[in-house]
Amino acid sequence: MNLLEAKNVSVVFNSYGSEIHAVKNVDFILPQGKVVGIVGESGSGKSTFARVLTGLQLPTSGEVYYLGKNIQEGSETYKGELRKAVQMVFQDPYSSLNPRQRIINAVSEAVQQHQTSNKSEAREIAAKLLARMGISQLDANKYPSSLSGGQRQRASVARALAAQPKILVADEPTSAIDQSAQSQLLELFSELIAEGLSVVLVSHDLGVIRYLTDETYVMESGVFVESGSTQQIFKAPKNSYTQKLIASIPGSHL
Amino acid sequence: MSKPLVEIKDLRIDVRVTRKKRLQIVNSASFEIQPGKLVGLIGESGSGKTMLCRSLVGTLGRRGAYIAGGQLTFDGIDLVNASNKEWAEIRGKRIGYIPQSALAGPNPVMTIGAQLGEAISQGQKMAKADIRERAIELLNIVQIRRPEVVLKQYPNELSGGMKQRVMIACAIAQNPQLVVADEPTTGLDVTVQAEIMDLLKRIRDEFNTSIVLISHDLQLINAVCDEIVVMHAGATVEKLPSGEIEDSRHPYTRALYESRIDLVEPRGKLRTIKGQPPAVGAWPTGCRFALRCDFVKPECTSATDVPLLTLSPTRQTACIRHKEIY
Amino acid sequence: MKLQKIRDYADRPGGFGIIVGIAMFAFIALAGIIYPLFGPYKSDAFVGDSFGKPSLTHPFGLDQLGRDVLARTLTAVPSDLGVAFLGVTIPLAIGTILGILLAFVKNRAFVSIVSSLIDGINAFPLLIIAVAMLTVLGPGLVNVVIILTFMNWARYARIARTRAIVVMQQNYIEAARLQGYSKKKIIFRHITPNVSSESLAYALSDFILVIIVVSGLSFLGLAARPPAAEWGAMIADGRTYIGDAWWLTIYPGLALCWSAISLSLIVEGLSRRDRGNS
Repeated sequence: MNLLEAKNVSVVFNSYGSEIHAVKNVDFILPQGKVVGIVGESGSGKSTFARVLTGLQLPTSGEVYYLGKNIQEGSETYKGELRKAVQMVFQDPYSSLNPRQRIINAVSEAVQQHQTSNKSEAREIAAKLLARMGISQLDANKYPSSLSGGQRQRASVARALAAQPKILVADEPTSAIDQSAQSQLLELFSELIAEGLSVVLVSHDLGVIRYLTDETYVMESGVFVESGSTQQIFKAPKNSYTQKLIASIPGSHL
Repeated sequence: MSKPLVEIKDLRIDVRVTRKKRLQIVNSASFEIQPGKLVGLIGESGSGKTMLCRSLVGTLGRRGAYIAGGQLTFDGIDLVNASNKEWAEIRGKRIGYIPQSALAGPNPVMTIGAQLGEAISQGQKMAKADIRERAIELLNIVQIRRPEVVLKQYPNELSGGMKQRVMIACAIAQNPQLVVADEPTTGLDVTVQAEIMDLLKRIRDEFNTSIVLISHDLQLINAVCDEIVVMHAGATVEKLPSGEIEDSRHPYTRALYESRIDLVEPRGKLRTIKGQPPAVGAWPTGCRFALRCDFVKPECTSATDVPLLTLSPTRQTACIRHKEIY
Repeated sequence: MKLQKIRDYADRPGGFGIIVGIAMFAFIALAGIIYPLFGPYKSDAFVGDSFGKPSLTHPFGLDQLGRDVLARTLTAVPSDLGVAFLGVTIPLAIGTILGILLAFVKNRAFVSIVSSLIDGINAFPLLIIAVAMLTVLGPGLVNVVIILTFMNWARYARIARTRAIVVMQQNYIEAARLQGYSKKKIIFRHITPNVSSESLAYALSDFILVIIVVSGLSFLGLAARPPAAEWGAMIADGRTYIGDAWWLTIYPGLALCWSAISLSLIVEGLSRRDRGNS
């Protein structure tokens, strides 16, 4: 059974009377233990679709299934189950952590929600999680504003992992941070993937997609124009848009 | 080799934090820009690359920063002590500036034509027809289709890539000798980024303009530029021709280059640089990369001053152990 | 160590003004608390000749009934600053909470009705409405607080709602929703702290205005009334004798200025620090 599956999903936004079709009738499958990438340019609808998968955005039509169960069908238990199973890492490291909350508190709050009600135990688990993400105890006691973008992103991952999710949806996690921080974060992702975490990775950076994912969906104007195994897509892109994307990688034509 | 257009030597830039306290943001930057060359300035956030570029366009003062030492000359003019009057003759006329796309764009309440017109006339009296003719010419240079229509449009009617093309048109309106581009494609799509980079190269070739391209993306710089200047923690640590990046003589540049992902086997071990870059102004003595370097020796941290060693006319490195390592 | 910290703070942009402002405000607030407890004279006791000039025993002099002006000026602190404090904090709390809750409401008709109400209240000039309502409710400091609450909550609600809508779009709120935190927790732990900084900044500058409104209403005889010790009432009381006994009006006036200036210094310092940091 597929871990997460979207069938015929559309998202329509109303903007001053006119309708914007952000996502148009797309199908998507995330198999258990796999990493699936969604590539596309800004405005292609990839972030909106990622939010549909997390449940933050309700689709206008179509269904999302978690382990074969339709999660839109009202039932609170399904929603609760999905909440526990899917976590998200956002693009902007500056707005993904509460500026009025110390890093350690943000993570231990999540640990308390999902793992233990004991406060000091939760703090211990949180500190361990943060240490694993390469954030020292000293930095964990700081507010987000005194950390670098890369550190904040890793703290966000720690908070997401506190829920012990099965699926991590990452929306452009590396695009707003420095290169050395990028490689640290990607290393971390590949470790987590090796441990069995399923990941949906949204990115416009084809290098990141190629490095991490098993399968890739290419999105243009709200539609998946090509999908398949990542290797196949990079070796022999069929769609002209995909070809253009790959040709635009800096240095690819040298 | 011809006389360089821009010479920067031991430049130091400070910023006022409080009434008495000063923070050094850049403290030993040295490099040159030859006419008609595309120079890539690379560094992570906090390396001082943006401040260095501001010093070139004379907008340091707006953030309470100022040049505290060293030399900065442009075509023989001393920019460190340049008066406002001298700057007015240089800024926008002889040195153009392309801002970061995400942060600044065209003024949203002026038509493209009005903004280009301002850049063209620079406050001088000019016939309307001449301005319009030049504006259309500029839009053609930056490859905007149907320039007559675009002139009447407002920025919100244009895509991100188009807006950045307009900014480039404004920057080159006066045929400047130097164009400073501060992360011009951050936040833009890869396909647009590739087009903008092609455009910059064409401008360099067609008008013999020198261009400084500031970026944190080493692959981009390596693919586009003629020369690479690497900044780390407020200092230039290496200068090299772009084709020779694999033969870099500084561990920081190498580590940065090797931590790129495009050529690594999927899910293979990625080379990472351990730890965090040193905080601005809180730099360790000696080599500032020493804490994160795999080749560190006691002499790296004991030296009080790490000079830029010249290896050849086109190459410099600040690594004192480069001979042993490479 | 501690002194060094204060010095560092003073060195930052606006820091000097903030420290001087806080010191000035703390001085008058403490004096107002300590004097009524330990001071030699009671505010309503007749302790000497009428119109006694300022002297060593009575530094601020005596009023027309022979009461100590210093005692009266300082005893007035709780009613002036205290009433103003309540007149700021109560609407601040009510308005901020209502504003945040309003940001959650999705029913457009309800939101537009409440928004019009808020705009309507904000459109009325505070002082004129206050005078009108006090003539109906009758004079008194408690009524002043009620009117200030009624008039000012709307301004805080507007600030809080606007800010809350921005905050709610931030990724950390979405992350909190994904974590499955309760609505209560999201509102109080994640939204309110990020909304309140803006409201607090406004409240601080509003404090100055409210102090002046309170004493202004007392001057008109609508808030505190003689013989109660209150700056506005004291000034109103003493103005008939201003030619012969200037100390009756000058000292309460100075206390009023002192309080307003101390708060302005803090507000100005804070805004300068914000600008310095951006």
